[in-house]
Amino acid sequence: MRFIHIFLIASIILNFNFLKAEDIKTENKIAKNLRCLICQGQSVYDSDSEFAISLKLLIKNKIQEGMSEEQIYSFLKTKYGEWILYDPVFNRNTYFLWLLPLLIFLAGGAIIIRKFNNKNNLN
Amino acid sequence: MASFIGFYSLSFGLFFSIFIILYSFINLKNSEVLDKKIVSFTFIQFFFVLISFLGLIISFVNSDFSNETVFNHSHTTKPLFYKISGTWGNHEGSLLLWLLVLTLFISIFLIRSNQQPTKYRIFTLLFQQIIIIGFFIFLIKTSSPFNYIFPKPNEGLGLNPILQDPALAIHPPILYLGYVGSSIIFSSALGAMVTSHVTKEWAKHIKRWVLISWVFLTLGILLGSIWAYYELGWGGFWFWDPVENVSLMPWFALTTLLHCILVLEKKKILTSWAMILSIATFALSMSGTFLVRSGILNSVHTFANDPERGLFILIFLFTLIFLSIFIFIFFHSEKEKIENNFFWLSKESSILVNNWFMMYFLSVVLIGTIYPIFLEVITANKISVGPPFYNKLIIPFLIPFLLAMAIGPKLNWIKSDFKDKFYMIIFLMISFLLSALIIKEFDISFLINTILVTSAFFLFFSTLREFFIKRLKNLSQNIAHFGFSLLILSVLFNNIFSNEIITNLKIGETFRSDKFTINFENIDQEDEKNFKAIIGKFNVLHTDGSSDTLNPELRIYNQPNIITSEADIKTNLLTDKFMTMNYVQNQEYFNIRYQVKPFMIWIWISVILISFGGLLSFFKKRYEI
Repeated sequence: MRFIHIFLIASIILNFNFLKAEDIKTENKIAKNLRCLICQGQSVYDSDSEFAISLKLLIKNKIQEGMSEEQIYSFLKTKYGEWILYDPVFNRNTYFLWLLPLLIFLAGGAIIIRKFNNKNNLN
Repeated sequence: MASFIGFYSLSFGLFFSIFIILYSFINLKNSEVLDKKIVSFTFIQFFFVLISFLGLIISFVNSDFSNETVFNHSHTTKPLFYKISGTWGNHEGSLLLWLLVLTLFISIFLIRSNQQPTKYRIFTLLFQQIIIIGFFIFLIKTSSPFNYIFPKPNEGLGLNPILQDPALAIHPPILYLGYVGSSIIFSSALGAMVTSHVTKEWAKHIKRWVLISWVFLTLGILLGSIWAYYELGWGGFWFWDPVENVSLMPWFALTTLLHCILVLEKKKILTSWAMILSIATFALSMSGTFLVRSGILNSVHTFANDPERGLFILIFLFTLIFLSIFIFIFFHSEKEKIENNFFWLSKESSILVNNWFMMYFLSVVLIGTIYPIFLEVITANKISVGPPFYNKLIIPFLIPFLLAMAIGPKLNWIKSDFKDKFYMIIFLMISFLLSALIIKEFDISFLINTILVTSAFFLFFSTLREFFIKRLKNLSQNIAHFGFSLLILSVLFNNIFSNEIITNLKIGETFRSDKFTINFENIDQEDEKNFKAIIGKFNVLHTDGSSDTLNPELRIYNQPNIITSEADIKTNLLTDKFMTMNYVQNQEYFNIRYQVKPFMIWIWISVILISFGGLLSFFKKRYEI
């Protein structure tokens, strides 16, 4: 029995540590995807400004409250606007941003294929 | 006095443009040989700009604060080296440097192009003169480096301390050599179109300019990246910052052109495409200058902005683009012969694939950089486009790109069969096993990471084998491609295996994690000429038993009064250990960042290898492909 007790406690502690490490990983990941609003082109993670420090604290608290990564992004988006997110949301405003490069890629492929077909037909 | 000479020398330089243009037109009428006078005038113009530039350097060295530029960007206590580099560390001076390189390059062009038709040389000179005159007027009208202040101030305002750095001192000149090199390609493409000289000979001759601009551009970007790594204190080397993107775009265009020219020097095909690329490369270099100088971009690098200047560059840029479109439409005719058959499996098609992907990468960076600006103007919505965007759109496309890069150079011109099938399959298997072994951690990103590393390893092994079987043949291309595989591998490993922490520590405190223990021992103070340094002493003990002493610094500069933090980096072949210490206002503790970054030095080495490949090709007398 005693052995099981120790094992249980140990596994809880270990698990807790593991979870904590995961939390820090997520915290950093989120902070890296946010723009420090008062800095010149720095992420929240990279900055040491007061804004960035308070935001890092906020992220930490939100994670402890049990919010998921996506929830935190949308929370910050409503609070500070889309400007804070480094990963632009896919919506009416950004269709072109996301799709134009892919369309260009497809168009490029089409041009190359046409080039081959044309040349070979001529012969 | 030096400013005075500098100013008048600049005006004389502009004056000589009139002579050059006049004599060029006379020469065009009887264009058997190039008039020696034109060459002399071009040299004299370069000489005057050089005098002007030296005048500015002397003003900086003597701390002549009656000169407004010197007053705004220098200080008596600054070390001599940074007084000199301060000459181009500001808007006015950097433009003067642009102009200096412009006039230097056209002089070199005139000497080195004597194998080419005279008419083509004169037209190239004329187009280059349009750019040169534009820069002269821009410099004299909106951003003269020789404005006079009276009464003379006793002390200057000083140079931004983060710019006081050896890598950054040579970063602008090297980058400008690349940018301005693209102006020669631009003028020469226009000249070649007007005189119907878009031929194999033209391709052979302009290839050297493409190569040299490409080498300088690559090295310039590298220096900027190294600087950002150790000076900005975030431990990264590429931030997808708009100003970085702006230097990357001409690089993509130039790399595409470099590959396209390889086809053109063999066969007269893809001429229109080569022309478009030549124009695009220069347009991108110019718009880069415009975007950086106008202050539109929100970036760490924005250190000079003024709407009037931005407007001038914008108008100038549009004039040049319209001119080139006009010439392209009315003068360029694509007389490609039908004999030039394309076959799927050939070197031409693999180069087209390269062009295709390069253009895609370029479009991602271009759209990502300028889309937010347009969106804000049109809808007043502010959005950010950062690293996640670029990663999502670029990384998946790297996989086929790397594979094509490994296979392409093995193919022959016109038509080819797959050779070495056996080796390729073996290499692919080895690469896959190796990657799966290295990326043991099994999570969502496992699949993409493994495939990415596999394709990078595949390119690595394929190019490595080429060294042994082909030896000196194709060496330059092979070195560059090998360097690229090394670059991708190091960047990937660096990303996947880096280990970093941020913590607050007081003197005497210790931070423990499962990988290392950081002990903040004490701090020292030192007084330098233009700053005070607070040096932290840290002892880091790793779980494998190794220990390091790291001494990151805080510098408090006197003029301007700015605190910067200097990273301490312990570099060896396998990992970089990177530590910065930041000051937190009204607190006893310091903010400490510690990062263990594997293969950091290989990122720099691989970029040097890539440019070395280009340099080797430049010095090669005859091209054997």
